[in-house]
Amino acid sequence: MPMSLKNDYPSATDEQLVGWSREGDTEAFEQLVFRHRDKIFARALMMMRNEEEALDLSQEAWVKSWQRLHQFQGESSFATWMTRIVINLCLDRIRRQKKMRAESIEQMEEDLGGVERHMPIEHANPTEGLENDELRKRIDEAMGKLTEAHRTVLALHEFQGLEYKEIAKRVGISIGTVMSRLFYARRRMASLLQGLKRERKE
Amino acid sequence: MSSEQMLEIMALVDGELATGRQADVQRLLAADTEAAALHRELGAMRQVIRAHEPIGQVADTREFYWSQIQRRIEQEARAAAHAANPKPGLSSWLRWLVPVVGVAAVAVVVTLQQTASPTITEAAAVVDSSQAEASSLTYRSDADGVTVHWIN
Repeated sequence: MPMSLKNDYPSATDEQLVGWSREGDTEAFEQLVFRHRDKIFARALMMMRNEEEALDLSQEAWVKSWQRLHQFQGESSFATWMTRIVINLCLDRIRRQKKMRAESIEQMEEDLGGVERHMPIEHANPTEGLENDELRKRIDEAMGKLTEAHRTVLALHEFQGLEYKEIAKRVGISIGTVMSRLFYARRRMASLLQGLKRERKE
Repeated sequence: MSSEQMLEIMALVDGELATGRQADVQRLLAADTEAAALHRELGAMRQVIRAHEPIGQVADTREFYWSQIQRRIEQEARAAAHAANPKPGLSSWLRWLVPVVGVAAVAVVVTLQQTASPTITEAAAVVDSSQAEASSLTYRSDADGVTVHWIN
């Protein structure tokens, strides 16, 4: 690789930067960090709902990725590989904090029989007429109101794109529980978004 | 609708419903307006959430954020190097210190015994001498450095 191209980090592809980083080039790695840091932080924040923890875990994810760069085979994109690392760290942290246990009456009810069955179906589209930024903000607010157990399953399914089976394996619950939590989370999101829409109108 | 049917409708939305169950669920959607409304709601939620993942932004500057990561990388590298090649510490000193102290202790005991033996002999000689004074004769030559005892 000619030196002139090697030094042109901003225009290099992720694959090139990974290759140089593997050879110990910290400047190339720093470029990868700069390129993807917001996404990795956002994913950690989505899982933890705490900025300090999210920042700490996102940095830990970068340290782990530097140490494991030789394991990156390029089967998925570098960003996907990185989000997998940060998600695993978040799940480990949550497990350690024992946050996955029933944390509210609401969740206990859902686990016992499903309040979601009694929730009215939202016939009107709760997101209709909203700008993308506004919608993103509302989704963030609504996700913040879910219990951690529901939010985790929803985030893994919708943002990480994991199948029921994979979520069950990662979180350590049955497929039935994954489905039940995902169903509840989606129904609750619809209800929360409808509620937010009503609040804004008033 | 039963709970199982609701979950099957969701699995259909997610493309995770077993092929053998798909026809039954499609029939349910066609016959039951509530089931069809649930299918629409779940589908809309899936789509809208996926398309609007909340964006997070690291508040720190590029340099500061990177400096923290770099520091952690260096710390872990040092820790790993230390674990692989431990520097001489207290434990390695003890490894050498224990046998050295043991050998030294044996040497001290032997030395003390050797030092103590003549003293006892001398004392005994004095005693012998005192006991035998009446029947013994001593000759000393300072020039030759010799002392001779005749005991009768």
